[in-house]
Amino acid sequence: MTSDWRTSPPAADYAVDELMIATLAAQFRDGDQACNGMASFLPVAAFMLARLTHAPDLVWLASAAGLDPRPARIPASTLEAPLWRDSVMYIEQYGDFWDLALNGRWLKKFCVGAAQLDQYGNANNSIIGTSFTRPTIRLPGTAGLADMGSIGKTLYYWVPNHSPRTLVRKVDFVSAAGYLGGGDERERLGLTGGPELVVSNLAVMDFEAVSKRMRLRSVHPGVSVRQVQEATGFPLPVSEGNVSETPVPTAAQVQLIREVIDPAGMRKRDFRRAGT
Amino acid sequence: MRDKLTSLPDAISLVQDGDTVALQNMATQASPMALVRELIRQGRQRIRLVVLVGGMAVDWLAAAGVIDRLIGAAVTMEQFGLCQQYRRAVEHGRIAVEEISETILNARLGAGARNLPFLPTRGAIGTDLIAQNPENLKMLEDPFGGPPVLACRKLVPDVALIHAHRADRQGNVQYEPTILWPDIGIMPKAARRVIVSAEEIVDTEVLRKHPERTILPGFVVDAVVEVPYGAHPTSFFPRYGYDARFHQAWADAARDDAAAAAFLERFVSGPPDQPAYLEAVGGPETRRRIEAWEDSA
Repeated sequence: MTSDWRTSPPAADYAVDELMIATLAAQFRDGDQACNGMASFLPVAAFMLARLTHAPDLVWLASAAGLDPRPARIPASTLEAPLWRDSVMYIEQYGDFWDLALNGRWLKKFCVGAAQLDQYGNANNSIIGTSFTRPTIRLPGTAGLADMGSIGKTLYYWVPNHSPRTLVRKVDFVSAAGYLGGGDERERLGLTGGPELVVSNLAVMDFEAVSKRMRLRSVHPGVSVRQVQEATGFPLPVSEGNVSETPVPTAAQVQLIREVIDPAGMRKRDFRRAGT
Repeated sequence: MRDKLTSLPDAISLVQDGDTVALQNMATQASPMALVRELIRQGRQRIRLVVLVGGMAVDWLAAAGVIDRLIGAAVTMEQFGLCQQYRRAVEHGRIAVEEISETILNARLGAGARNLPFLPTRGAIGTDLIAQNPENLKMLEDPFGGPPVLACRKLVPDVALIHAHRADRQGNVQYEPTILWPDIGIMPKAARRVIVSAEEIVDTEVLRKHPERTILPGFVVDAVVEVPYGAHPTSFFPRYGYDARFHQAWADAARDDAAAAAFLERFVSGPPDQPAYLEAVGGPETRRRIEAWEDSA
């Protein structure tokens, strides 16, 4: 099956989660190291897909706990032991993982899911509301996201439910630094890296080089620019003056996702949970 | 050699009202749940809890009114959703949250362990976490001329609560296959007192067969308790997986205060000891199910 992924035609039948997985997978190459946190079915599926096709030597630190594991398929948790079965090495979070991540030479790319994302790529997983001490909704908290945003990583956001509630003009709380207020604000704090792409269920966005504002790069097949704009809580300029259509996954990619990587359909859970 | 083997009630009597308690926990993994239940049974109050990623333990402690402050990076039961009792307590101002990132927690505990005033990190620079926590986080010029760093003030918990695979009566602790989360790596070294529950208490001769698995020397440990399945309903790799049915039952109950209280009465205050608790949560069939990791697939 992995021999024909190069020549496989675009899939006639695919779901948007499979398109998002293929789009994320394309960002990871041989020589990269990837890691995932909890409740991260789309990134995990993307890493597994990349390793089965174009990037067999992509190194994966599953759950930031197990090096290059061989899970049979995606289990119900992306943090628990079944995902890091057959690892080459157990990674200790205090002594190993953050040393490897903070150093700057390794783990240069990170996939981020967040409750809110704003026009400068700042992310919020902490609170909804205007008061930190008396929030309208207490979200889980930043975990390692606040670190990943400030230590030079290239960030790829995944947004299963593109809506004015998730893509907001300004986040209620900056749990992870994107481009902050835009322009060179991030640079002035001595921070390198930053948000690169936003892969949602409607479109793919990137960030304009000078203003650092999010803009529309491609819309998924069957989605209009207007539809994306209406689902976004701020004006979304079009990248390079014209907007393309997001490439659909290949038939081989879809088959791998459905039959090998995630036959139990765990990846769909990200979409059910969205917005709750 | 001092014998540190004791009972759950005596071990938890080392925790005082108002203490800062560091709790081993990772979403649905490796939480010393028997120690947590005993904290609730003894009615501790005004506890400031330190966690990396809190789960059901935090939700129970919130529901029982044990904690009024949380210092941690996240609180969630992952696939079983937000901790609803904790969340409501925060939203109503009953629990204050000092939210920190993982590298901030590691730096604060690391400084506590090494008796330094602070340790720096590059994580979290630019986030709103810093303005929320001026007492413990300050931007600092690099004295050697590089970009600024974030100084994270030392954190010395009064007590650390740990669950381990085995220990001897002197408090030497073994963990299998190795340390994974910073709870074990740094919390016990930062805390003033350390309470360990272990799946089994063994003779020191057993530890000598695999000294590479011993992760804490007995002299840092104040009390050890034998508690088989002491992490249930969380997983305790590689011995047993998480109990998904029990997690879901709590997640459902936690949405309603009366249902949550009834749940705690049935499973926390009701059963007088660990054998009674294990019967209440399903007895041998539950033990068979979690040892087979059936819920985790």
